[in-house]
Amino acid sequence: MKGQKLSRRDFLRLSALGAAGAALAGCRPTPTPTPSAAPTQAPAAPAPAEKVTLTYLVSQGWLFDAEQELGQKFEEQTGIHIDYQVVPSDQYFNLLKTKLNAGEGPDIFGGQSGVTDLIVQYNVEKNAVDLSAEPWAKLEDPLVSAQSTVNGKIYGLTLWATTATTWVINYNKIIFQEYNLSEPETYADFEALCQKLLDNGIQPIYEPISDGWHHVLWFPELGPRYEEVTPGLADQLNANKAKFADNPTMLTVLTQLKEMYDLGFFGENALSDAQADATKAMASGEVAMTLQNLTFSQQVENDYPDMKADTFGQFMMPLADNQVLNINPAGPTKFIYSGSPHIAEAAQYFNFLTQPENMQYLIDHTPTMQTLPFPGVKSKLLPNQQAFLDAHPERGTVYQTAVNYVNPQWMDIGKDLTAMFTGAMTPEDVLASIDSRRAELATAAQDPAWD
Amino acid sequence: MKLQSKYPLSFVLGALVLYLVFFIIPGISGIVYSFTDWSSYRTEVNFVGLDNFRTIFSSGERYLDYISNTLVFVLVTVVLKTVFALALALLLNDAVKHLTHFYRTMIYLPAVLPMLAVALIFRSILNPATGLLNVLLRGVGLDFLALKWLVDPNIALFSVIGVDTWKGVGYIMVILLAGLQAIPKEYYEAAAVDGAGALAKFGHITWPLLTPALIVVTVLNVLYALRVFDIVYVLTNGGPGYATEVLFTAIFKAFGQGRYGLGTAISSILFVVMSGTGYFVIRLMERESVSE
Repeated sequence: MKGQKLSRRDFLRLSALGAAGAALAGCRPTPTPTPSAAPTQAPAAPAPAEKVTLTYLVSQGWLFDAEQELGQKFEEQTGIHIDYQVVPSDQYFNLLKTKLNAGEGPDIFGGQSGVTDLIVQYNVEKNAVDLSAEPWAKLEDPLVSAQSTVNGKIYGLTLWATTATTWVINYNKIIFQEYNLSEPETYADFEALCQKLLDNGIQPIYEPISDGWHHVLWFPELGPRYEEVTPGLADQLNANKAKFADNPTMLTVLTQLKEMYDLGFFGENALSDAQADATKAMASGEVAMTLQNLTFSQQVENDYPDMKADTFGQFMMPLADNQVLNINPAGPTKFIYSGSPHIAEAAQYFNFLTQPENMQYLIDHTPTMQTLPFPGVKSKLLPNQQAFLDAHPERGTVYQTAVNYVNPQWMDIGKDLTAMFTGAMTPEDVLASIDSRRAELATAAQDPAWD
Repeated sequence: MKLQSKYPLSFVLGALVLYLVFFIIPGISGIVYSFTDWSSYRTEVNFVGLDNFRTIFSSGERYLDYISNTLVFVLVTVVLKTVFALALALLLNDAVKHLTHFYRTMIYLPAVLPMLAVALIFRSILNPATGLLNVLLRGVGLDFLALKWLVDPNIALFSVIGVDTWKGVGYIMVILLAGLQAIPKEYYEAAAVDGAGALAKFGHITWPLLTPALIVVTVLNVLYALRVFDIVYVLTNGGPGYATEVLFTAIFKAFGQGRYGLGTAISSILFVVMSGTGYFVIRLMERESVSE
């Protein structure tokens, strides 16, 4: 008996220590990847012994089918597999920042270009690879590459139709004709026509608030108007010599936006409407207008061939009586994570994408991509879209690009605006909130203007 | 004597070391970090005293609202889950004669489903325009009940509570059912002989003898509800606006922004609240059971 008891005790002792040891053995430190200064040129005939997979973390709406098809072609040519990880837009930045802060970034990640974002949002000097020596870096449109440059180094590749897209109100011309409406140039006219549509049972505007980012556009995209009324405002904001809360035009825009929501112009279900259903809503003929890219009408025709692209016309957002066209030279950009073990392969993928025939493939097979900021590609803007751009030579840069510390707080502004719509915050509160977040971001980035 | 001798310390040493290294030490260092300005933007960490706590409790910020949302969540889910679970357990113990095992399985099933899957599906079901629930309600003519479940700031939190209750009630029911089945039938027979009705039986026999199980269940419910995160994050992400933000979504956001000092400060507050609540609930119910 005694012998049995001892051996059982010993067995339990041994197994307890063994289990503890096994658990601790899992704590072997992983080798920290060293970021290389610049990716080496890929050899002429690569034949990797083991299959390399590149992880590419991207927000919904930034990745198109055409690019995934090119990714497959790339895999056939080089054997490198691209794992596209698409994340819903309202969770993307949280997830990306958590991964970057934890030191576990994906091989390639997407982000919005724009110099403040590069530093504050993504900390590119630490988290991304300098791509200035890549063959495509010199070819990219300088206005566009300037938005992904920090301290003279280019960190990102922007394959987006930044130079040709602008957010404008796309309207159904048939509905407008039916109710004798014309393109408004003042807010008063705009409000009147929305009310007339509502009285006749048509939803005036499709505004997808549920995604968290779309309804924010109305505010910073009117940057050119703020700049027109208060010249030099962007520079003053950047130097911390002015505040959002003190600007009457901005307050007017937010007040008008709140009024549009309260009057029901956004429809019954604005808070749960999604951007993914925008083409469906416009093709249904029950909604008159929506704030979308210049090239949205082609997307509608692509998804619903019965609804032709020329059914839609465009006019600029008339809030605060704006008549200046809003342009954004920044856009969704691809970066290579500095801690990736496959920097050379990722750079290879970028080189592949920027081959003229591949860029043309992207343009030809993506309805919203009308052109790319590189030479040697043929743009596919419709004649009426080109005409729209030509008719509005007066342009300005949108405030999420012209003013620092605005883009990084895009989703937070979205939450504030939703709170404003539901009555939990006033327009003044929203502006004050934007200012205080700018101050937080600036202090965290040790911006000398905020001392 | 040999049977009463304790097991030697070496048995528990392995587990104790692991627990110390992975739970106790990080927990304490977390509380220490909440007094610093640790963030992802700087490499130095400076001691800042109560600054983080001042931020949290200042009226300009929204953290007090997050705390109140969390407390509402705790209160309502504890009451709802316990009441429904107790009702179901009583039914399955006495009233239902056939298929009790089947019902028990079906009621427990939601508890084993992954929370993420449940939340995504309910997000679709509760869509005010196209979701299954509202379509059904409109179909039978109950239009006035087809509310904007997750987008009306007045009811969004209660919609989240509803989904969470649906998921958790089975688990609580199983524990209470075990407690009920441990009560000897002789008590009920004796009470019936004395002329006690159903309500008297419940009040004088069931409730007092079920108190240990109820303590367990309440503590589990409270601690779970204080820590709630994934269901809120997926269903509403704290929205609309800030109407359904709870403490843990605030911690997640703070960490996501790289403001680690602030995040650990909120966690420390949560820790204090959870420890205090757990202690008081146990003391309260122990006192009740002793006095019976």
